[in-house]
Amino acid sequence: MIIGRGMAPGITEGEVLICNQTISPLGEMSKSGIIVSGPCSGKSFKDKILIFKGGRGSTVGSYVLLELKYSNNAPAGIINEEAEQVVLTGAIISEIPMIDKVPIDIFKEGDTVRMNGKEGSLDIANIVEKDVTTVYLIRENKILLLKRSDKVSTYREQYGGISGYMEKDETPEMTGKRELIEECGISDAKLLKKGKFVYVRNNDVLFRITPIIMKTDTEDIKLNWENSEYRWVNLEQMNSFSTVPKFKETFWEIYNHS
Amino acid sequence: MYLTPEEEKIFDGEYGEAKKIAIRLLYSLGELGGANGLIPIKSAHVSGVSYKNIGEGGLKFLRKISDRVSVPTSINPLGFDLTEDGPVEIDDNFRKKQLEVVKIYQDMGIMNSYTCTPYYFYNEPEFGDHLAWAESSAITYANSILGARTNRESGPSALSAAIIGKTPDHGMHRIENRYAEIIIKPHKLLDYSEMAALGLYTGYNGRGKIPLIIGQNRLKSFEIKAFAAAFGAASSVPMFHVDGVTPESNLVREKAETIEVENSDIENIMDKFSGEEPPELIAIGCPHLSVEELNYIAGLVRGKKKTGPDFFLFTNRRVKEEARDAVREIEDFGGKVFVDTCMVVSPLSNKYRKTATNSGKASFYLPLKEYGNQEVTFKSIMQLIKWVIA
Repeated sequence: MIIGRGMAPGITEGEVLICNQTISPLGEMSKSGIIVSGPCSGKSFKDKILIFKGGRGSTVGSYVLLELKYSNNAPAGIINEEAEQVVLTGAIISEIPMIDKVPIDIFKEGDTVRMNGKEGSLDIANIVEKDVTTVYLIRENKILLLKRSDKVSTYREQYGGISGYMEKDETPEMTGKRELIEECGISDAKLLKKGKFVYVRNNDVLFRITPIIMKTDTEDIKLNWENSEYRWVNLEQMNSFSTVPKFKETFWEIYNHS
Repeated sequence: MYLTPEEEKIFDGEYGEAKKIAIRLLYSLGELGGANGLIPIKSAHVSGVSYKNIGEGGLKFLRKISDRVSVPTSINPLGFDLTEDGPVEIDDNFRKKQLEVVKIYQDMGIMNSYTCTPYYFYNEPEFGDHLAWAESSAITYANSILGARTNRESGPSALSAAIIGKTPDHGMHRIENRYAEIIIKPHKLLDYSEMAALGLYTGYNGRGKIPLIIGQNRLKSFEIKAFAAAFGAASSVPMFHVDGVTPESNLVREKAETIEVENSDIENIMDKFSGEEPPELIAIGCPHLSVEELNYIAGLVRGKKKTGPDFFLFTNRRVKEEARDAVREIEDFGGKVFVDTCMVVSPLSNKYRKTATNSGKASFYLPLKEYGNQEVTFKSIMQLIKWVIA
């Protein structure tokens, strides 16, 4: 189950239409239920779960959604990255379930989604969700980058932190400490900061990652089979490495804000 | 979000169905926006008037929510000019439905402004006033140029606030949310239509943040209006600042990034809209024209006779009355000045296929299929005028 923010109540299900764009319901959603501009131009959203970045443009857009509902051309549900008030009002008065705070890139064409607009929760059919903790390990203002070996199942040869599946009843800190011993031979790490869930989709698997920043005084790293190389780099230097999805932006988000 | 005992009664339906629908919508929006409660507003401005836009679904909603407004409330343009018909012929069903929409709003006690520029004579907010305004161009104008405070209200939420006389106190009502977080730096001084193009550019590229425009301190308010309208169409950001011009342009976050805007970026936006020439119609007045703008246009056409395409200007009733000498000169020239409506919300495609305009906002909406259905040319007013002067 994926948790966003419940915006307009109701439970619904449908095939997704993914539009990586902002949309003005007035003008950019036709009365016959078709997107008429941007990357999704020409595609029908009627009875689909319409996924887009957020609304824009005319404040009459709420009535456009109401008219679509009235003429049976409305989407079954709406998912936004960041909702704004015009689409939201339209969803409420048209009784179209709506959720926001969900990244677009966790969906794939052909997905079927079941969503609960009151709880803000949704499920993608036929995928496996896996809970992962990723540790950003810091030592004297440097961060540890591990190069994933060619023996792991995902993101081979890319740089990342220390990641592992969370076992039953484990907290992110517990998983982090266990993985640090297994992958690096480090046992003195302490938790500094914990971030919000980050979702990464890889084919039929959805990783729900809890990012944490930990601190160590140990410089020597004892790698296991999962990684082929390690480097302690300055924080700014990290930006020049090819890393696993959402790795850098997630770090800066936690480091600067939480 | 906290509701007073009196507001609770409205919520529970003790004052009727319309007020109940209204306060429940405000409550939902306030809860999601993180409001503490409802605050009184000085005025409201309502969008969702043209039957072309709201359709049968919108009309049904209006019938349900029809109740007296409790603060001064102005209203957006409709599908035709009530005073003399036009700009295009409309069918009987459209006319009948449109007149029912108008009657519902009139019965609610809303003023007969029918304009997207209510701040010309109808509804003139002062610095710091809390408002509940819809109409994307008027919202950005009120926040940015007047320093009043309104969220980006939808048609229904502005109407609900007008009925209750209050709005949730989140978002733009709080000063901490009014800071610029991105700086827009054009490389030359821009005129009206270039400012409109910059509005589209900033809407597309401004990362959803409140921008500060720098290096444009000679701008007049109607040129900033052109930016406000285009920016409001292409984004969902309810405010911007112009350094040295708008009243809160000192509100800038220290970490704000700068976007350099090359002259070619502006040209590329305008070149995207270059229809087959000549157009069938030249349409000016999106947003509605001011007295100053009408006087300027009258000066350009004074004593001349129009040739070529139709030449239509759009404004509100009070501006047309104030600028009557200019209007006479424009009509003697062969142009038409319409009120109550505009090129975007009237069913223009009943007659026209090729329209030229100096408006960034109209250039955004008019080309869209199943909506404006126009081949649009976006040029400066001087270039537009050349088509109609022999």
